[in-house]
Amino acid sequence: MKDEALLKEPFPVVFRRWMTSAGGITILLTIVVAIIAAIDAGPFIIVNTVVTGGMWALLSLGLSLVFGVMNIPNFAHGEFFLIGSLTAYFTFNPLRLYLKENPSPFLSAIAPLLGIFLAFFVGALLGVILEKLIFSPLRKRSRDQWVMNSFLLTVGISVVIINSVQLTWGANFKGIPNYWNVDPLDFLGVNLSVDRLAAFLLAVVTLIVFWYFMRRTQTGRAVRAVAQDETGALMVGINLNYILSLTMALSAGLAAMAGASLLFIFPAYPTAGLKPLYVAWYVVILVGLGNVSAAVVGGFIVALLQTLTSFYVGTGWEDVIPTAVIIIMLIFKPSGLFGSEVKGIQER
Amino acid sequence: MLEVKNLNAGYGFLQVLWDVSLKIEKGEFIALVGPNGAGKSTTLKSIAGLVTPKSGDILFKGEAIGGTPANLTCRMGISFVSESLNLFTNMSIYENLLLGAYTIEDKQEQLDTIDFVFNLFPRLKSRRNQLAGTLSGGERKMLAIARGIMSKPSLLMVDEPSLGLAPKLTLNVFDALETLRQGGMTILLVEQNVNTTLHITDRGYVLEQGQIVLEGPSKELLENDHVKKAFLGI
Amino acid sequence: MENNAQAALSDGATGNGRFTALLNATGISPTGLTMIIILLVLPFIPPFNQEHILRWLVSAALLGAQAIAFDFTTGYINVVNFGFAAFLGVGAYTSGLLAVNLGLSPWVGIFVGAIPAALIGFLTGLLTLRLRGIFAAVMAWFVGLALLGLTRNLVDLTRGPMGLSTPTLLNTSSNRPYFYIILAMMLITYIVLRKIIGSRYGLAFRAIGQNMDAARASGINPTYYRVFNFTVQCLFAGWLGGFYAHYFGILTPQLMLTARTVEVLAIAYIGGRGSLWGGAAVAFPFIFLIEALRSNLTELPGLHLVIYGLLLVLVMIFYPGGFAAFYKRAVAWVKGLRDR
Ligand SMILES: Nc1ncnc2c1ncn2[C@@H]1O[C@H](COP(=O)(O)OP(=O)(O)O)[C@@H](O)[C@H]1O
Ligand SMILES: [Mg+2]
Repeated sequence: MKDEALLKEPFPVVFRRWMTSAGGITILLTIVVAIIAAIDAGPFIIVNTVVTGGMWALLSLGLSLVFGVMNIPNFAHGEFFLIGSLTAYFTFNPLRLYLKENPSPFLSAIAPLLGIFLAFFVGALLGVILEKLIFSPLRKRSRDQWVMNSFLLTVGISVVIINSVQLTWGANFKGIPNYWNVDPLDFLGVNLSVDRLAAFLLAVVTLIVFWYFMRRTQTGRAVRAVAQDETGALMVGINLNYILSLTMALSAGLAAMAGASLLFIFPAYPTAGLKPLYVAWYVVILVGLGNVSAAVVGGFIVALLQTLTSFYVGTGWEDVIPTAVIIIMLIFKPSGLFGSEVKGIQER
Repeated sequence: MLEVKNLNAGYGFLQVLWDVSLKIEKGEFIALVGPNGAGKSTTLKSIAGLVTPKSGDILFKGEAIGGTPANLTCRMGISFVSESLNLFTNMSIYENLLLGAYTIEDKQEQLDTIDFVFNLFPRLKSRRNQLAGTLSGGERKMLAIARGIMSKPSLLMVDEPSLGLAPKLTLNVFDALETLRQGGMTILLVEQNVNTTLHITDRGYVLEQGQIVLEGPSKELLENDHVKKAFLGI
Repeated sequence: MENNAQAALSDGATGNGRFTALLNATGISPTGLTMIIILLVLPFIPPFNQEHILRWLVSAALLGAQAIAFDFTTGYINVVNFGFAAFLGVGAYTSGLLAVNLGLSPWVGIFVGAIPAALIGFLTGLLTLRLRGIFAAVMAWFVGLALLGLTRNLVDLTRGPMGLSTPTLLNTSSNRPYFYIILAMMLITYIVLRKIIGSRYGLAFRAIGQNMDAARASGINPTYYRVFNFTVQCLFAGWLGGFYAHYFGILTPQLMLTARTVEVLAIAYIGGRGSLWGGAAVAFPFIFLIEALRSNLTELPGLHLVIYGLLLVLVMIFYPGGFAAFYKRAVAWVKGLRDR
């Protein structure tokens, strides 16, 4: 009676409900396709999918969260990714040079994590600043056509950040050869670099922590409450401003963390955020606007789609094929593969 | 405990309440009745902090709370169960109740209160893992009231709990309110179901077109000619 | 065009009734007319008669025309076409390719190019405009990115990033005639869209923009009107793209970048949402300011875009009516002074 085990629904019930939904079928199909492709082309398909998929999940989850809780379609989400990779670059690069002079195995092992965690906090801070400086004033002025107005604001923010970065640090690529300078592991016959493995593990750990936070803590529940009924949230004593700032911070922090973790693949430069932005939006529309948990799954699905497109069709087409896929999806199931948790996708 | 003095309030340019005054002592069970559109809900929302008064005072335990946001009035001990319930539809009953206790820090206290409300509404206990959005109308009402008392309020305001409920379920809800009141809670009940309401409450106010037109002990109101004519159809 | 202006000069002063009626029909205010006349003579007045400044004038009129078309959708049905530049690109490439491969006259191609742009716009709208506005914005963006990807990848056809050389409209190196052409196109865009706004379609747009449910209740089919509006916008985008193709004489996929859409969007908003003319009015001073910045501060690339972004944010938060609202207020204030 008095424990939280009550919260759990029996697993078989959940599982059956899932497997017969559009979402369940999608997941099954994704796994099947991944296996067939892996047999056909090699296991690297799965490795690549899983590594970028984890980071796309972090990215999409944050975008979805901000839309669900704050009703902001964020077109500056990619810039959080950019800020994250910049932070990691400026933290890790001096450390790397220092370690070249003064080798220290311990420091070498944790230096990358330092950059990645710092990126999370810098991203979160930027998120809070934007909420306090920009969204909150707009909210106080008027909530008419909030979705469109906030969308335009984020477009403005994105332009400002991209070009400020360009003004400050120029347009050159700021990348690193790798985080951990050790030999790649052999995994299913695929060379798996420690950087990739670490990125994947980091994503998994973060997702678990995030899930625990949202489901099992009062603050996490409050975030979901605000998404579902703002007035109800106020009525039970939730401080709306606090939750909104927290949501923005989390969303931005996760995106920044993804940017930092992938610095060894995606170097930092002013428009580095565009691609992640596209991916995150793609995932969110594909799985259903505002559906946070589905966004996680969607991250992996889209990563697979990208891996397959670039392997079978060729690079350069990765914007074309996914668009065709999403058009088909919108024709048949506009609420997204996993349905939408937002108050409805039809215009009110 | 609660004193409303010359409250004027409304929405935008539309003024709904005109010089509304009422007073509630600790432990009282008060009815606020009136026809549709009279401003009953607006009165409750003003007290709860969901509507900002244009003028007038709202004193709660001697403190002026007019214009205080709803999350703070909740912390001060006012709980509001609205007409539309404002449940978290994608969360289970259990989670809704836990959120009801958002202002209570102590984990054990939260769980004890959940025990208490499950005893009050056993139906909720047996469905504690069901999503609020999938409950029946009666169950939702119970959940909303249960969530309202999770914060251990000193004043509970309930807006039209009988609306859209079968008579039997209405009785259940009223019984629960009666139990709560016996446990010492102060309750302000808004109802259109005037007859029943005046039978279970101590005192009542009649609101018409945004103004208090009558007030007094519920028994006397039941005998009042105007009340009889306007609400009881006698 | 010039005849018209002369007529304006002679008749306007005497307040001829027929002329006023004509002006009303075009939706151009007396102040607007004055501005147009100034623009008509500007290319002959130093320093504006220099070629590089004439080029700025052409860019400004092109941007202004785009902003008018953009506002027709955002300002009235509250839908942001985030792939606007790509639709312009479709018109540009269609017209350019027809001229290069089939020898079609650019004068015809400009109009033909508008058709595929409108068609793609129509299909995108059909797919997304029954859903919330944000779907249309995001899907138009995706479609735009896909079109950009296609032009980049279909190198055999479009020559991709190497650029497609297209014949120009005129056989002259002077920018002045081009300025008159694009100015005329800008005015036509304005007059046609203003006409639509003034018709029962405009009423429906506004009803939908303000309250979807109320519009539905009064028998308006929101999807129909939204798709109509979106298609018309894309039609004009394609048409203006044709001018782009045969003015610059070279097409690269760059012209379809999202950043281009953002530029138009910012101008339309700073100009004043729902005014139609606001974007065109601010496009001229803006282009001049930005070109001046660009040529004087070459070591600070991107500064002008920071200004765009900041202004967009500031306008959105503090002055949602943009320049058009400011102008209205200023006029009211002056009238107040006069009447006192
Ligand atoms: N959110 C609102 N915005 C504008 N007017 C409202 C709103 N809520 C209620 N009203 C108006 O205020 C008046 C009183 O409403 P209400 O307080 O809900 O009455 P009651 O609860 O007594 O039926 C009605 O005329 C109603 O139309
Ligand atoms: Mg009511």
